[in-house]
Amino acid sequence: MPESGNGVILTLEKVCKSFGGLMAVNYASLSVRKGELRALIGPNGAGKTTLLNLITGIHAATAGRILFKGEDIARLSPDRISRRGISRTLQITSLFSGLTVYENIWAAAQSRKRFFNPLARPERWTDVREKTGEMLELTGLADKADTVCSELSYGDQRILEMGIALSTGPELLLLDEPTAGLSTQESMALVKRMRAMLRGQTIVLVEHDMGVVMELSDRLTVLHYGEVLAEGTPAEIMANDEVRKVYLGK
Amino acid sequence: MLPDRWKGGAFPLAFGLLMAGLAAVPFFAGLFYQTFLTEILVWALFAISFDLIFGYVGLLSFGQALFFGLGGYAVAIPILKLGLGTGSGLLLSIAVPAAFAAFVGFFSVRLTGIHFVIITIIFALIGSTVGETWTSLTGGADGLVFMAPPLDLGVAKLDLMDIRTTYYLVLAIVALSYLFLRRMVRSPLGKVFVAIRENEERARLIGYDVRRYKLLAFVIAGGFSGLAGGLYSLSLKYASATFLHWSVSGHAVVYTIVGGAGTLVGPILGAGLIMSLEHYLVKLMQATDLAVGAVLVLTLLLAPRGIAGFLRGRRK
Repeated sequence: MPESGNGVILTLEKVCKSFGGLMAVNYASLSVRKGELRALIGPNGAGKTTLLNLITGIHAATAGRILFKGEDIARLSPDRISRRGISRTLQITSLFSGLTVYENIWAAAQSRKRFFNPLARPERWTDVREKTGEMLELTGLADKADTVCSELSYGDQRILEMGIALSTGPELLLLDEPTAGLSTQESMALVKRMRAMLRGQTIVLVEHDMGVVMELSDRLTVLHYGEVLAEGTPAEIMANDEVRKVYLGK
Repeated sequence: MLPDRWKGGAFPLAFGLLMAGLAAVPFFAGLFYQTFLTEILVWALFAISFDLIFGYVGLLSFGQALFFGLGGYAVAIPILKLGLGTGSGLLLSIAVPAAFAAFVGFFSVRLTGIHFVIITIIFALIGSTVGETWTSLTGGADGLVFMAPPLDLGVAKLDLMDIRTTYYLVLAIVALSYLFLRRMVRSPLGKVFVAIRENEERARLIGYDVRRYKLLAFVIAGGFSGLAGGLYSLSLKYASATFLHWSVSGHAVVYTIVGGAGTLVGPILGAGLIMSLEHYLVKLMQATDLAVGAVLVLTLLLAPRGIAGFLRGRRK
């Protein structure tokens, strides 16, 4: 059963999602503590991305509750959920492609404002400007601030998307296969950058690269056909016979 | 009215010079050219209102004619049937179309792509059908002819039956509208609009209520389209149901695409260029639409981002 209290920030209670006859997520329960990096692993089609889509309101859960900081967010729209403090990246890079790196981060950095006076001058919004500057440093993209982001390397685009997600000041960050499509070398550079960028963040990470998972995560949840198969530390999961059978194929 | 990259003092200087030039026109150009320039200014305002919704938010609205036509009637009907003044007519030409835009937008901004285009055409068709059949109010396709009462500004009374005075009034209102919209698209609000244009899903995921901002932009654009219609009928002393026809929106679409969408200054250039072209070509050939079509095709092939987009690209 999912725990509550003592530092738990996200709890999924018997969450289901069916697409027609297919149960993509089947009574999945899990809880994530503040400050932990939780990896979600499982074979293709296990329901990992669907789970992230349920948490961020892209899909509505068929059944179950999703508690974030104790409140049920299962019926909220993606923008409301973002404002509650959950941010994410997508499996297929999702940026404001025609805008510069600076403008991309700015758009996220100003997103917590409640009122947009049509006559306001952006240069007077010093807090947003500072936040944007800090994020440019943190992502290491400061020297590319004026580059239109469709012209960035793929690796830089993945980092930029993380920078955008972080610029909303989330309490929970969901990363959907950050290393997908990267070469080993680029992956290593990304992981290094992630370590610096994501210090202290509560994260749910969907990732196929077991090397990355083992290196970054505190705990793992294994999904299989939409069900939670196992949960534990990396060492426990590696030692779990059932997991080895269905996922690691040994 | 210059590209974004002209920072600091360059814009106020260039804008001031251009305004001084336009203000001097009546001193050396005859009434015909004053009327012609008034018309260009009105259509330029209509085109920039379209550019706000198309170039900045990414919604191809063919419904702007509805708001243009409503703006025209919002000036004509109160003057003719309610005995109201020109000033209240002009205010109504913003408020009434903006209110209709809120209604139309409520249904339309839920849709995207071609579905959005079609629903805006449908609303404009409904508007023009109502306008053409409700002749007791609108005069139908024959329209309404009215006398514009003088506009009392406190310090001066403007005689709007005078072509030169009308030209100055239209110039002042179009210039102020341009300055307002220019400021707005550069404001943080404008950045939300552009973010939505670039990637709706991403905008939603960082916390923007996309529908709400689309509706807001649609209402603002509707208000300015209405103001353009109001100025048009004020300059002609005439409003007609034909203004409501969805194809009227096509003018704004063409001016904006030729001039450069998402620039505000582009649609003004586009309106000036195409309307001048039509004016001079009509002496040579009847089918000016053919020439306009050719310009449109050439633009799409050679400078897909329009004249302003092309010029900006070269500067980089």
